[in-house]
Amino acid sequence: MNFIMQMSLRNLVRQKRRSILLGTAIAFGTMILIVANSFSRGISDVLFNKVMSFVSGHVSVGFSEKGRFQQQIFRDGERMIKLVRDNVPELNTLEEAIGIMARVVGNGKADNAIMVGVDLGAEASPEELKLVEENFKVIEGKFEDIGRTDVENPVLLSNIKADFINVKIGDRLKVRFTDINNQRQSARLTVTGIFKPANVFMQMPMFMEMKTLKKMAGYGPHDISQLYLKLKDPKKNAIPVADRIHGLMTPRAAVIAGEAGAGGRRCGVSVLGFNTDSASLSALPRAVSVVSGDSACALGKGGIFATRELADALGIRAGDTCAVTWRLKLDPGEMTAGFVVNAVVEAGAGAPALYVNEKDFYESYYHHWPLSTAKDSGVFTPAAGSPLAALAAGEWVLLRRSKTTKEFQEQYKRIAKQKFKGVAVDVRSMYESASAILNLEAALNIITLAAVMVLFFIILIGVVNTLRMTIRERTREIGTVRAIGMQKADVRNSFLMETGFLSLFAALAGTAAAFLVMAGLSALKIPTEDNPLSMLLVNGHLHFVPAAASIIGHILLIMAITVGTAWFPARRAANLMAAAALRHYE
Amino acid sequence: MLRRTVILMTAVLATAAGAADTPPAIGTILKKLEANYRMASDVKAQVALTQQKAGQGVKAIEMQYYRRDRDNTFVIVMTAPEAEKGNGYLRVGDNFWMYRRNTRTFQHINRDESIGGTDARGDDFETRNLTELYEGAKGPDGGEIISQEMLGKIPTWKFEVTAKVNDVDYPKKIYWTQKDNDLLLKEEAYSSSGTLMQTAYYLKYTQVKGRYVPVRQMFIDEFEKGNKTIVDLSNIVPEKLDDAIFTKAYLENLSK
Repeated sequence: MNFIMQMSLRNLVRQKRRSILLGTAIAFGTMILIVANSFSRGISDVLFNKVMSFVSGHVSVGFSEKGRFQQQIFRDGERMIKLVRDNVPELNTLEEAIGIMARVVGNGKADNAIMVGVDLGAEASPEELKLVEENFKVIEGKFEDIGRTDVENPVLLSNIKADFINVKIGDRLKVRFTDINNQRQSARLTVTGIFKPANVFMQMPMFMEMKTLKKMAGYGPHDISQLYLKLKDPKKNAIPVADRIHGLMTPRAAVIAGEAGAGGRRCGVSVLGFNTDSASLSALPRAVSVVSGDSACALGKGGIFATRELADALGIRAGDTCAVTWRLKLDPGEMTAGFVVNAVVEAGAGAPALYVNEKDFYESYYHHWPLSTAKDSGVFTPAAGSPLAALAAGEWVLLRRSKTTKEFQEQYKRIAKQKFKGVAVDVRSMYESASAILNLEAALNIITLAAVMVLFFIILIGVVNTLRMTIRERTREIGTVRAIGMQKADVRNSFLMETGFLSLFAALAGTAAAFLVMAGLSALKIPTEDNPLSMLLVNGHLHFVPAAASIIGHILLIMAITVGTAWFPARRAANLMAAAALRHYE
Repeated sequence: MLRRTVILMTAVLATAAGAADTPPAIGTILKKLEANYRMASDVKAQVALTQQKAGQGVKAIEMQYYRRDRDNTFVIVMTAPEAEKGNGYLRVGDNFWMYRRNTRTFQHINRDESIGGTDARGDDFETRNLTELYEGAKGPDGGEIISQEMLGKIPTWKFEVTAKVNDVDYPKKIYWTQKDNDLLLKEEAYSSSGTLMQTAYYLKYTQVKGRYVPVRQMFIDEFEKGNKTIVDLSNIVPEKLDDAIFTKAYLENLSK
């Protein structure tokens, strides 16, 4: 084998010019493949690590009330923040994110904008601050001015927006937007700063202090909108952390445990919600049997029914009002709400309970969080596996982990279609939030590979042609080595090895050239101002991320293709009859 | 003495006049508005929306509107402009779909989405009970905020309502209703911060099967000056409509 290898290497050197020309073509193709692949990985790297971490965090926890994607609110924010902080040791920073589409009116001109909340007191790494400075370079005023208290609702906006709506520092502008209750809201803002965006895409945000924006939008002191987690080693941790948080977010049954009263009589009660989607409503009559009252009304979308145990304890009948009082979790004191009972039912649970349609139930539950929960002793919830347990409203609906952005959107559509009245919670890592970026990277790689394959097709025609010429030139040599005992397979292998070595050396040279080209291109400073591509640059330079595995894979692929192409001419050479080869003359 | 007598007489007459025009409860007026709005039968009509936006010219949209109140169902078929023609909206119960002629697809949408890119939203076409959404606002004295006012030459009740539920566009509204027949003539809508956002004028009514239907309405955007939308209804036909109209197949067949 060593002999054949030596012979192959010698043959390669024998025809230097031909080998160099062919090797240059292969090296060029390799270089293009590696540079293009590293560039597409660089784009992904920038989008994921420099952009997506700001747009949606490495992991995000989203909340949407009443099936409305825009109604992003969870009314017990401390609980969710604690859950994340206690269970994610990989956490670097945890921040609340809020962005609201608005119509903004300046001096005689109007435009659309996104009001973005910024928590000036939040922790930020030097890299994050640097990136903010790069993307939103403040040219008038200071970023911190959005925290001023001596002016009404301070705001920082882009110079493009400020010019368009004709405002300058100190001017007032009006905004119209939909608040968290889905009502039209308006407010006056004061321009305290103007920034120059890194590119046109960055001109949309108008930055406001988080507390100011939340108050304007109708958020209460315990409400949060969305949570963005920034992690240590995000590439490694994003998906496991998202999976872990998702597992911890499994909702329990939502229950308001308190005291019911009617006609001077009182007893302990559990108020539960029941789902009112079509499937749940059709299953409800099989889960309970109506003892008295209007079953159609009680088991319908706006229905409320009491268990026989509760009716007996309070002496109530259908049509009576049952007042329920419970201790609050987030505020001191108690809450009392009246529920008009449509029917009394036999639910088989043996506990005094009141079942309320999800719309009315969540209205009480979310706005007046009860102190007791389903896990507290003495609080009744339907037994797991019972028909009513399947129909009972949960604390929220946890959306399953989506694999792609599209899958996530489909889930939201389903929730919206079901007219779900509670909160939908979704946990996403940056990979699902931006699956489109991954698709973009994959598409770029496929395009590059296809282009390089076309190039290689041309190169391979050269390989085949070269081998055919070589075989023709060496026909008598083949005859000689065959005559002195060289086997067919050895003849074939010598040609294959010759091609293999040629492609290996050429690919290695191409790889070296690729690194030189990448170094050269990276050194070029590209102007970022008014350049839409600046988002993809790092400090004004192109960003390449070569990967060893990918490069080795490409080299092996190129070798496999060239050697595969050489197989047929090599076999033809090996199959030459020794006597006929010796007689060959040109 | 004469002067005092005149003052006294004036005061008595004013009191008497006031007693004759004691404001009704706001809830009663809302119920009348609601009853007038609800059609006893199905109805179809042609609707023309003329939307004027500051600096953007005028956009005109025409549509055919079919409504069946008994199950809160309606269909909208766009008839103009050409780019929108054949597109439609179908609302059946709680479900609301948008149909696109070009792709022949239905998309489930929220009721607060725009109709044909205008300010009109799906819920503007819904039949919703005013009394379920709003109630009379109370003044500092605990009484309802209602007074008499001349709107042009028409004597009206001007009264303020506040939202009973969160699920409304505007938490506060002021209505002007004609005193003698309780027709809504003007409406101001306020944001929760108290800013006037929109003024609606109900300019012309016609009687259909004993009910007053506003056939010309004008909505003025008070937030962004220069924007207004005029809604004209014509060819109103109150008759039983074929159930087949309120189906997806009907919209699909129109584009064949």
